[in-house]
Amino acid sequence: MDETKKGDGQMKRIALLATIGLSAGQVAAQTVVTQWDQFSQAGITAAGPAMDELIKTCAPALGGAEVLRTVAPSIGIRDSYRLAVAAGKTPDLAYTWPAASVLAGYARIGALAPLDDYYAKYGWKHVNDFYRGRNSYEGHIYGLPMEQDLMGVYYNKALFEEQGIKVPTTYDEFVAAANAFKEAGIVPIAFGNRDRWPATNTFSLILGLTAGKQTEEQVFFGDTPWTNEQFLKSATVFQDWANNGWFPRGFNGVGYDEANALFLSGRAAMTITGTWVIQDMIRGSGKIDLGVFMLPPIAEDIKPGTMWGEGSQWQLSATADQATKDAAAAYLDCLVSDDSRKIWVQKGYTVPIGTTPEELSEWGADPVVHSFFEQGLATPDTNFYDLHTTLPESVTQVLYPELQRLAGGDTTPEEFLQAMQTAWETAIANGERWVP
Amino acid sequence: MHSPRTAYWFLAPALILYLAFVAVPIAQVVGYSFFSWDGGRLDQFVGLANFARLGSDTVFWAALWHNAIWVVLTLAFPLLAGLLLSAILAERRPNTVRALAAIYFIPRTIPLVVAGIIWGWIYNPIFGLLNYGLEAMGLGQFGHAWLAEESTALLSLNVVGAWTFFGFCVVIYLAAIQSIDPSLYEAADIDGAGWGAKFRDITVPLLRNSTLFLGLYAAIEAMRFFDLIWVTTQGGPGYATEVLTTHVYKTFFLVGDFGYAAVLSVVLLIIVLSLASLSFWLLRSK
Repeated sequence: MDETKKGDGQMKRIALLATIGLSAGQVAAQTVVTQWDQFSQAGITAAGPAMDELIKTCAPALGGAEVLRTVAPSIGIRDSYRLAVAAGKTPDLAYTWPAASVLAGYARIGALAPLDDYYAKYGWKHVNDFYRGRNSYEGHIYGLPMEQDLMGVYYNKALFEEQGIKVPTTYDEFVAAANAFKEAGIVPIAFGNRDRWPATNTFSLILGLTAGKQTEEQVFFGDTPWTNEQFLKSATVFQDWANNGWFPRGFNGVGYDEANALFLSGRAAMTITGTWVIQDMIRGSGKIDLGVFMLPPIAEDIKPGTMWGEGSQWQLSATADQATKDAAAAYLDCLVSDDSRKIWVQKGYTVPIGTTPEELSEWGADPVVHSFFEQGLATPDTNFYDLHTTLPESVTQVLYPELQRLAGGDTTPEEFLQAMQTAWETAIANGERWVP
Repeated sequence: MHSPRTAYWFLAPALILYLAFVAVPIAQVVGYSFFSWDGGRLDQFVGLANFARLGSDTVFWAALWHNAIWVVLTLAFPLLAGLLLSAILAERRPNTVRALAAIYFIPRTIPLVVAGIIWGWIYNPIFGLLNYGLEAMGLGQFGHAWLAEESTALLSLNVVGAWTFFGFCVVIYLAAIQSIDPSLYEAADIDGAGWGAKFRDITVPLLRNSTLFLGLYAAIEAMRFFDLIWVTTQGGPGYATEVLTTHVYKTFFLVGDFGYAAVLSVVLLIIVLSLASLSFWLLRSK
C-alpha cells in the first residue's frame, strides 16, 4: 500500500474522531431543560403564540442551555404530570395546575425543588402573599404562579339591549334579568356540566359571594364544617339557579365548549366562566357584542369580589441538576419580566399576575380583556378561592359528581354538604389538606 | 420423536411473553394493593387495610350494581335480537344474508369511542337527533336529556352498547344456524311444524353452545367496558353511570390513590377471571 495514501487515511480518521469527540463534548456540555406546558393554539389557555415567541426571546437567559418543550392539553396536563411524578420522571420545568393542595402534595414527597433562593435572587415581587401562600408548603415556596385567572359573567350586549335589561349591579337585578330572559325564551345562562368541572367554578363563585372569603378560610384552614349555614345557603342558591330554569335543558349532558358555543351563537344571554377561555370568547364573538360584568354579592353582608387564582404555576423538579435548575430559573425570570408580560397579553390574551389595568391599556389589550381585569382586580382583598384548585384531589373527585347531583336535583343541599364534609374529614385524616 | 424438554423450548417464547406482560403485571397490581401510597409513591405496607375500605365505599357498590345491570341488559336484548334476526335471516337468499349480515355487523367495527361520540350527538339535549325526531313526530313530551338524567343515563348508554354488540350476535348465530343439518327442518316441515315451533324446538336448543359463548363473552365485556362511558358521561351524572373501570380510572389517575385503585382492579380481575373460568367449564363440560 502507498505510504502517502496510508498516511492520508490515518489523518482522515484522526480528523473524524476529533470531530466526533468535539461534538460529543459539546453535547455533553449542553444543558437541556425539559419543559412541559399547556400553551396550545386554541381552546383553554390558547397562549401558544406567546409561548412560541418567548422561547426565542428568552433563549439568551438560558446561558447556552436549550429548552426541550412538550405541549400537553391544558386540562389533561395535571394528570400527565401526576403520572410523571409517580414514575420519577418529573420534567425539569413544568407549567401545570392546580397549586395549593396538589402542589403541596408534590412538595411533601420531595418531587419539587424549593424556589426560595430564586425568589430572593430575582425578586418576583409581583407575586403577592396570596399567591405565594397558594404555592407554599411548610414555609418554602415551590411554584412561580404566572397566569392571572378571574371569574366573571360574559354577556351578550345586544340581547340585553333588546330586552331592555341593564347590566345588574345587585343580586336582585341579576335574578330579575335571568328571569326576564327566561320569560323571553332566551337561555339566561349557557351552562354545560358534562365535563364535570365547570360546575365547580360556578359554585365557587356563588360560594364566595354568599359565604364570603372569611367563612371559606374558616372551613378550608380551620375547623368550621362544610355543613355551616353560609355554605348551605350557597348550595341552595346554586340548586335554585338550576330549578329556576336558568340553565339550558339537560345541562349535565352539555359540554363546556358546547355551552360556550351556545352563548357565542347568540342563543344565550350570559355565560359564567373565567378568563382562561377569554381567547376563544374574543375570537368566537363575531356574531355577538361581547361584554363582561362581575356577579354582584348574593348575601347582603358580603362585599363585592370574584373568584381568582393563579391558573397554573411554573415549578422545578427536585431531581434536576443545579445547572439545569439555575438555567430554568433565569429563563423563568425572563418569562415573567415586564417585556414578556406585554407579549403574554398581546400574543396570548393571557394576563400575567402583577399586570395592572393601566398596563393593559398601554399595551393595547382587547377591550374585553381590559374590562374583565379592571373589574376583577378592583377587589383584591375580598376575592376568594376556586374550589378545585384549592381542595385535595380526593375531595375534588367527590365535589364533581356531587355538584352534578345537586344541580340535577338528585340530592339536597344538606346531603351535598354532608358528602363534602365526609370527604373533607377523610382528606384531613390522610394529611392531604393544604394550609398556606 | 421429540422429548418433553423440546416441547418446553417451543413453549418458552410465548411463556416468557405471557409472564412478562400478563403474570408479572397482575402480581404487581396485587402487591400494590397491600401498600399505602403518597402522591403516587410507595409509602408503607398496610396489609388488608385497603381491602377493608371496600365495605364503606358507596361508589364501589354503585359501580358494581351498574355493571350487574349492564350484564343483565346485554344478555336480555342484543342476544335475543341477534337470535331472532339470525333465525329470520337464515331463511333468506344467500346474497340477502351476506348483505344484511354485513350491515348488521358494521356497528361492531366502529370503535366504542367513536360510537360514544356519535350517540353523544344523538342524545344531546340541545341539538340531539333523538329529541328532534320525537318532536317532529309530535312526541316531544317523551324527550329527555338522555345522558344527563340519572333515571335514563345508564339505560341510554346500554342501548349504545347493544347497538354495537347485536350485529356480532347475528353473525355468530347465523354461522351456527347454517351449520344445523337442514334435514331436521325438512322433517319438521313434513310433520307440519310452523316457523315458531321449528325455532323453539330445533334452532334454540341446537344453538345452546353459541348462546353460552355469547352470554359469557357479553358478561365479561360488560365488566371490562370503559371507553363508551368515559367519552359520554365520565360516570355521571353524579354516579349514575359509574362502573368499576371508571372508578378504577378515577381512583388511580385523578386521585392518585394507587393502593385502593389496585384493590379495585383486583376485585375486577377476580370477577372477570371467575366468569372466564365458568365459561371454560361450561363449554368444556358439554
